[in-house]
Amino acid sequence: MKLFKIFKNGIINDNPIFVQLIGMCSTLAVTTSVSNGLAMGLAVVAVLMGSNLVISLLRNSTPEKIRIPAFVIVIATFVTIVEMFMKAYAQPIYQALGIFLPLIVVNCIIFARAEAFAFKNGPVASLIDGLGMGLGYTLALVTLSTVREIFGAGSFFGIPLFGESFQPAGILVMPPGAFIVLGILIGIFNVARRKKATSEI
Amino acid sequence: MKETLKLGIILFVFTVVSAGVLAVSNNATKGKIAELEMAGSIGALQEIFGEDVKFQPLEENKQNQIIEANPSVVEIFEALNGDSVVGYAIKNISKGFGGDLLLMTGFNIDGTVSGMRVLEHSETPGLGARSEEPEFTNRFIGLSTADDITVEALSGATGTTNGVLAGVNSAREIFNSELSN
Repeated sequence: MKLFKIFKNGIINDNPIFVQLIGMCSTLAVTTSVSNGLAMGLAVVAVLMGSNLVISLLRNSTPEKIRIPAFVIVIATFVTIVEMFMKAYAQPIYQALGIFLPLIVVNCIIFARAEAFAFKNGPVASLIDGLGMGLGYTLALVTLSTVREIFGAGSFFGIPLFGESFQPAGILVMPPGAFIVLGILIGIFNVARRKKATSEI
Repeated sequence: MKETLKLGIILFVFTVVSAGVLAVSNNATKGKIAELEMAGSIGALQEIFGEDVKFQPLEENKQNQIIEANPSVVEIFEALNGDSVVGYAIKNISKGFGGDLLLMTGFNIDGTVSGMRVLEHSETPGLGARSEEPEFTNRFIGLSTADDITVEALSGATGTTNGVLAGVNSAREIFNSELSN
């Protein structure tokens, strides 16, 4: 039951994008198409689960003083592995994500979970936390990129949805559109979350 | 002092393990990555010159000499029909709107463009990313290499178009000065 709560925390109550508002840079940049958003989300899930697990397993043998550089080494290792495998087996996505894939190393979601959760909790809980937080991040990215791609480019997963006459709102796939859509989504998400919280009381 | 040494050794162990893990995964993926890169180039070459044409990298000394003078050039291929050279393809890097563009431009030996492909880019989807589509790349086919190459810009993506044109024209200059005779 506790594990389910940890999992749900990552997706809803402590959603890294909609509630904690961390890891914004890559979120704003990669969500121009759904396939990019989904791929970035899954890459973060993989790195987050791996780093949370390893950091949790090593937490008793890692001295407090050097925990930060130790985190960096663990996280960078996982990111590099994900990068190599994506380059070999999912090249179009690897190209689309560009610089943001290696930059997962400094993504604060992963750092925050290492410091706030994995270093203080057991491996199973940490793994679940990584999965929950990662899926919460993926959910936010997919929602954001769905809105941006449908209205900004007139397609979904690259498949055109409307006829030739459809004029997409190009601003949505450009940087200002990322801020506009993200702002609206954060508003909706939090209103819904609060409504649910009050009804539960 | 003793503690510092201990911490250093612990971190050292972390990095050694990390390096080992990375070496293993590098070994597992590097063959596949090289294969994909080669397949990408050959695929683009066949689209540009047609299926019957054979390709080989330009003779190494000449290729290195050109690359030294033009650092944006990545690779040059010769297109062969039987034993005779029918054209050249130049793979080079240009600056797009969202980052580097990797382009492949094919030239027929008679001085026309046989085709152009955007191999890698990080342009905006719906705008600059349309530079990959045949509707745009076909605009280059048959243009003469005697003058500066220009095409109608992609609407909303002038920056990308200019980047592609800069790359194609620098390839054109290399073709004219080094390869065409």
